[in-house]
Amino acid sequence: MEVFLQLVISGLVNGSIYGLVAVGFVLIYKCSGVLNFAQGNMVLIGAYIFWTFKGPLGFGLLPSLFFGAALSFLFGMIVERLSLRPLVGQSILSMITVTIFLSLLLEGVTCIMWGSNPLSKADIFPKGTINLGFFNVMIDNILAFCFALIVMTVLILFFQYTRLGLAMRGVAEGHQIMQALGIRVKKILTISWGIAGMAGTIGGIILADKIGFGLGLSHIGIAAIPAAFIGGLESPLGAILGGLIIGLVESIVSGYVGNAAGTPAAYVLLVIVMLFRPYGFFGLERIERV
Amino acid sequence: MLNLANIEVMYASVILVLRGISLKLGEGAIVALLGGNGAGKTTTLKAISGLLHTELGEVTAGSIEYNGERIDKLGPEEIAKRGILQVMEGRPVLEHLSAEENLILGGYIVKSADTKRDLDMVYDYFPKLKMLRNKTSGYLSGGEQQMVVMGRAMMGHPKVMLLDEPSLGLAPLMVEEIYQIVERFNREEKTSVLLVEQNARAALAIAEYGYVMENGRVVLDGPASSLAENEDIKEFYLGLSVMGKKKSYSEVRHYKRRKRWL
Repeated sequence: MEVFLQLVISGLVNGSIYGLVAVGFVLIYKCSGVLNFAQGNMVLIGAYIFWTFKGPLGFGLLPSLFFGAALSFLFGMIVERLSLRPLVGQSILSMITVTIFLSLLLEGVTCIMWGSNPLSKADIFPKGTINLGFFNVMIDNILAFCFALIVMTVLILFFQYTRLGLAMRGVAEGHQIMQALGIRVKKILTISWGIAGMAGTIGGIILADKIGFGLGLSHIGIAAIPAAFIGGLESPLGAILGGLIIGLVESIVSGYVGNAAGTPAAYVLLVIVMLFRPYGFFGLERIERV
Repeated sequence: MLNLANIEVMYASVILVLRGISLKLGEGAIVALLGGNGAGKTTTLKAISGLLHTELGEVTAGSIEYNGERIDKLGPEEIAKRGILQVMEGRPVLEHLSAEENLILGGYIVKSADTKRDLDMVYDYFPKLKMLRNKTSGYLSGGEQQMVVMGRAMMGHPKVMLLDEPSLGLAPLMVEEIYQIVERFNREEKTSVLLVEQNARAALAIAEYGYVMENGRVVLDGPASSLAENEDIKEFYLGLSVMGKKKSYSEVRHYKRRKRWL
């Protein structure tokens, strides 16, 4: 029982990280129609920026977090402006190709600026364990999960209840209609990339607390993408739930079956879900009136 | 107020759609733009509202002036800021959003403090919409979607409303209702309306002036009452030809009367 609970907790923590990165992915797809395969590398660079503030520059935890988030927001906006703006309306193949090469480019830039070796550790959440009666829980896991949950909730509330969030949902429905209403669609697309960069970075920072600041952080993109598909490519809430589901499945399977079986299990789950719910659990079905 | 002077519009630099259109829209007026399919009516509206730029189209000659300022090179966002809003054809609602969310987005460019009051204004024009406010707009009926789309434009307090085929696919009673609302909106808010319609009868009933377009040119224009009485219009657009006489097959031609304007 204790083993199972540990697996669940670690699965939820991983899942919340996948969820955050997947939200960024879904947001970009929903608003600009681009499948951003460079999401993992944006996470990497954002996390490295945070590390730069906390480590060499010696800022405190909260200021580093703030600057990390702000600069990764800016970074997302710059990426959109430079590489994706010209692609609006082009075929999806061009978009995928560009984002894949963008991921390679960003990996190269990261190596140039920070080197390819793992960076020194930077502790984010205080370590230690609490004893909850019949099993032990690591404090940093709980804090990580709560932090991720707060960020995800803020994002969901932002989309559902704010004016800008409504405008972003509107842009996802139809660019031309929104332009006809006088709304600056390009500005909203840029902001959506900024938010995606920021959400991904926060996920990356939480992950780096567990596995350290290394190039492996960019591989989270590979796990976050099935999360986005399972949840439904048009639903931020779905992305979060998809991330949690994938995290749980990965963790439980690797605990009981074997370490290497975790990631394949996530993809098997993806295939099964796609068979029965091709739009994902919360994806928006095409509205057809008869 | 709105003045189109001999505009030519091309798509993709190759397809010439408008070949010299001139028309005027005065303050507070309702002007009808009639014509068959493919005449270029929607393109004219898109040239005014700037949506042409989103579709590889451009005004290659002539000018569009609004209150003395040239607007043909501006993007749709700038033109909407000046108070010219287009209600596109085909009832394009933002499908997965609710009716009220559609309306709120219509008022996005206006100050947000007045949103509640503007919503109340729209619900006053369309009482049925108030009951449907939280329904997903993609699932509403055609008439209801037309109300959403028009209400959305009303939220922006336009000075010029470009209405593209509001009666398309609607039941006759619904068409009457929509037209009464257009007339009321024009009267109460002093909004000028440029009305593109294939339903010439309905359009000429509320318009003061009308233009008839064919193949990218204006072929006839005049006060609505004289257009409605014009023999050619009656035959080709209102379906009132000579009844009761026996017709022989040798007489049946595409155009029985030569169109007097060519």
